Amino acid sequence: MIKRTFLALFTVVVLMFSCSSDDDASGGNDNQTDNFDRSAMLINWADNIIIPVYEDLNSKLEILAAEKEVFMAEPTPANLANLRTAWQDAYKVWQYAEMFNVGMAENINYIFQMNVYPTNIQDIQNNIESQDYDLSSVNNNDAVGFPALDYMLYGVGNTETEVVEFYTTSASADKRKIYLSDLTDRMQTLTQTVLEDWKNSYRDTFVSSTDNTATGSINLVVNDFIYYYEKGFRANKFGIPAGVFSQNPLPDRVEAYHKYDFSKALALEAMNAIQDFFTGRAYQSGSDGRSLADYLNSINGNEDLSASITSQYTAARTKINTLNESFAEQVKTNNVAMTETFDIIQLAVVLLKVDMLQALDISVDYVDADGD
Amino acid sequence: MKRSNVITSLFLSVSALVFMSCSDDDDIIIDPVVEVPDTYSFERNGTSTVSYDGQTTRILMANELKSSLLDNTKTETELLSMYAHQEGDSDFSDADLNASSKNLRSKTAASRDYFSANTTEALAIRNQVDAWISAQANDIFTNWNTNATVGVAGQIQEAGGGSIRYVNAKGLEYNQAIILTLLGGVMTDQMLNNYLSTSVLDEADNIENNNNEITVDGKSYTVMEHKWDEAFGYLYGTDNKDNPQFGQDQYLNKYLGRVENDPDFTGIADVVYDAFVLGRAAIVAEDYELRDQQAEIIREQISKISGIRAVYYLQQAKSSLANDKGAAFHDLSEAYGFINSLQFTRMPGSVSPYFSRTEVQAMLSTLMEGNGFWDVTEATLDALSVQIAARFSFTVEQAGS
Repeated sequence: MIKRTFLALFTVVVLMFSCSSDDDASGGNDNQTDNFDRSAMLINWADNIIIPVYEDLNSKLEILAAEKEVFMAEPTPANLANLRTAWQDAYKVWQYAEMFNVGMAENINYIFQMNVYPTNIQDIQNNIESQDYDLSSVNNNDAVGFPALDYMLYGVGNTETEVVEFYTTSASADKRKIYLSDLTDRMQTLTQTVLEDWKNSYRDTFVSSTDNTATGSINLVVNDFIYYYEKGFRANKFGIPAGVFSQNPLPDRVEAYHKYDFSKALALEAMNAIQDFFTGRAYQSGSDGRSLADYLNSINGNEDLSASITSQYTAARTKINTLNESFAEQVKTNNVAMTETFDIIQLAVVLLKVDMLQALDISVDYVDADGD
Repeated sequence: MKRSNVITSLFLSVSALVFMSCSDDDDIIIDPVVEVPDTYSFERNGTSTVSYDGQTTRILMANELKSSLLDNTKTETELLSMYAHQEGDSDFSDADLNASSKNLRSKTAASRDYFSANTTEALAIRNQVDAWISAQANDIFTNWNTNATVGVAGQIQEAGGGSIRYVNAKGLEYNQAIILTLLGGVMTDQMLNNYLSTSVLDEADNIENNNNEITVDGKSYTVMEHKWDEAFGYLYGTDNKDNPQFGQDQYLNKYLGRVENDPDFTGIADVVYDAFVLGRAAIVAEDYELRDQQAEIIREQISKISGIRAVYYLQQAKSSLANDKGAAFHDLSEAYGFINSLQFTRMPGSVSPYFSRTEVQAMLSTLMEGNGFWDVTEATLDALSVQIAARFSFTVEQAGS
């Protein structure tokens, strides 16, 4: 093979003299060429968003566990109704927690133990019958957490009475109650573990890691945030049920399929969680603190980006609001509305994953596996 | 085909930009040297870095689908399964294809630039292909020996004992609509709007890894090199990459050869090939501006294939429209498919096709108005030809003969 080397044919020498100190023509953003207070943002994230979310989730799961005890002692329709309400309340709060996969949450695969759906009914039934299970096992990721409770509280019968009968009349009733109990207790224990780690040690490590490296806190959380938006939110809640990644729509892949009319409510909570995190809104007080939006606004030439992202979120929320309470029903009756929603959500992926990361000089630590 | 000996090197002006300033982090920028091989051969440590198996696989699947669409012993399910193949299913005669995890459907209207935020249209396009495939089995295979007449699906023979064409009630050969939609929706779209796009080439750490020659685990190539190869593969995947012969598939490779053989466009094949070689060499030399210039050349030329062939078949149909319906319907079916493929083309310097989906659909419904090909007029065919040619850099006369 002949190789030909082309050396410089034309050499243009451009001399530029400049004495301005804030010359940043390339738009590049090395460590702290900006004056943004990264530490303040991390403190806002930790103290006003992440820890309060885990605290609220933990208390909701404590209520869930308590209602479960009441139901176990007295499996009545009324107690089932209370237990279901507690599950819904906790599941809504979960929508604020799923995007944070750092610290202990990452170490213990917390998210995989809390919200993998569709849940595997066969695995659940096998676990119940065998009474020999390790709920922390990777094999049980799709037999635990909120989706498993969705099945246990709604999917085991068509009516409230039938669900109560599942825990009362059969020979396996006791085994079923034990599994229900173990599931619930484990979710609470895991959450407590994550929360305590944040409060006892991880919080300080987290807020002091302000550097822009692959292991810096901002880098980690921003990657989690975008990954969650793309996968947990966009793909899991919308794309997969709508059949974007398969030959046909898959209505049974929606979140909370057995409850059936709850998927939209959860998606709207998630949408709020996403926007609140982006704008730095405190989980409890609702007051605004340092955020990614502020960070973008502090960088020359990116003033419009945060507004674009926010307005895309608003467009997504508006569209989600037009959907059926049950995404499964939506997919079955008018899937185009579902894919249209997916498309609006996707527009923000580009803004976040390309434009925002470029502005913040952060590398993506994951890539879609869509090549050949 | 004889390779052009002169690879245009005008792009290779090297600009040394010397910045002198009071800040201490300015560097003298020197472009690396671009080494351009004669053919699409690139190596790292003595091992070839060129790889596009996935594209070859999809082209082979598409070739087999094409022939099966005219095999009336196939069932609807069998045909649909060839389009949306699942790993391990025995949909093809080739065991390697059956073992593959790849399929055509998931890559139809699936480019990053056009469809990542437009799954609604993507699904509509895939569903349209499904519907045509089903119709081929349900309307055409079932009327295999019926003579087609106005409003009746069946067979129609070209004059003088020519080929038998199998058309629907309006004269359309579904198989042409299907395969040329794949030529656009899979090959063209994946090449121009996915693998040659900065959104894919420069994704994540691709630039940094390419600059540092960090290769994919267990492979000899960087991610960026491989993405470019995947674009290359959709044109040359079943051809000789160092000495393309053309006509080696039923898709872009075939039709680029056809366009090359039209004296009005001779030379296009070299332009495309040289751009692929130079762009790949630019990636090796970390010259991304040069790379993107080549991508724009490829976009323009590959887009022209759909435009030229659409006009060509519209014009060809005119001469047989009155007295040889079989021949005319075949040409019009090809035209129909190529017009549909225009929505996947890419106008250089833009993120838009030469004709939008809406425009394409309007042209197709003009063609299919009333009894479709049975009563379409020469005036309509000319009007559509003019409309298409006007947006490209060729005339109706150049494309039409």
